[in-house]
Amino acid sequence: MLQTYLVRGLKAGLVAGIALGLFVAVLANPMIAAAEGLAGEHGSHDASGGSDHHADGGGHGHDEHGNASGVLGVVSASLLSVGGGVFWGLLLGVVTFGLAFYVLEPAIPGTGATKHALAAAGGFVTVSGAPWLVLPPQPPGVEQALSTDARLSLYAGMMLAGLTACLLAGYAYTRLRDRGRVRALVGAAVPCCLLVGLALVLPTNSTTQALPAAFVAAFRAQVLFGQVVVWTLLAATHAWLSAGEDTTATHGPTSAAPSDPHPSSD
Amino acid sequence: MATANTVHERIESARPALTTPRVALGLTLLAILGFTLLFVQEPLVHDSLHNARHAAGITCH
Repeated sequence: MLQTYLVRGLKAGLVAGIALGLFVAVLANPMIAAAEGLAGEHGSHDASGGSDHHADGGGHGHDEHGNASGVLGVVSASLLSVGGGVFWGLLLGVVTFGLAFYVLEPAIPGTGATKHALAAAGGFVTVSGAPWLVLPPQPPGVEQALSTDARLSLYAGMMLAGLTACLLAGYAYTRLRDRGRVRALVGAAVPCCLLVGLALVLPTNSTTQALPAAFVAAFRAQVLFGQVVVWTLLAATHAWLSAGEDTTATHGPTSAAPSDPHPSSD
Repeated sequence: MATANTVHERIESARPALTTPRVALGLTLLAILGFTLLFVQEPLVHDSLHNARHAAGITCH
């Protein structure tokens, strides 16, 4: 049974990963190149010695990284990033819908597609939403106050906090469901509010950017759109595969034994 | 397919297939992939995944 879920998660991840790879190729790569170009044109901090490595005239720091650009000259870094997008989708599919969904499916409120949608929402909050409360997506060319190590630690910490908030929200909803839907929803909202509160008290990451504010806003909207598409595809593909395999199991080609035509899901 | 309808039953159902080598191999692969995509800052790896990280909104250098 676990293997079935893992394979489904892998397939869903492949679909979402290919979509993300296409997104990187068609939308993100040009947008990032434009950001690097704009940052290079402004050149406001190319000699400032700040922590940002991107704003060095469009090469996003390869020169500072020694021989990286020489090796990457063989295979374009942009192409590798497309592959990175595919693997990102695969990772999310296997971990979220292969492993976590297998274990937590009985505890997730709702049935069928609702369970998949809630799992995807939880995955989005854990992987992206919660960290973005503290560290919103930034295009290349933005100088950030916090060090790289501090930001990576914050990002990982907020992922953990987001996962905890999602699990607590699900637990609270399930425990309070018998006392009414409104109470259950309020109970589920409490951990989410605590997550936002946590983000407010954490160190702020002030930024210095040469890019137009509208460009940064468009970049963030694009990133948000990309991740929402990824999670939607993960949930939809996994739900579709589950429905198809359940149908096959129930009305299998041999239909030999009417063992359990109505498997419960909750 | 047998249907386990509680979290506990799901774990118990999976336990026979979860041999130590399988668990170790699976977790190692997932950890390597996740760490590489999310946190590695080594220049060559970072540069090769630079656009993917920005596109996914992962914090970058």
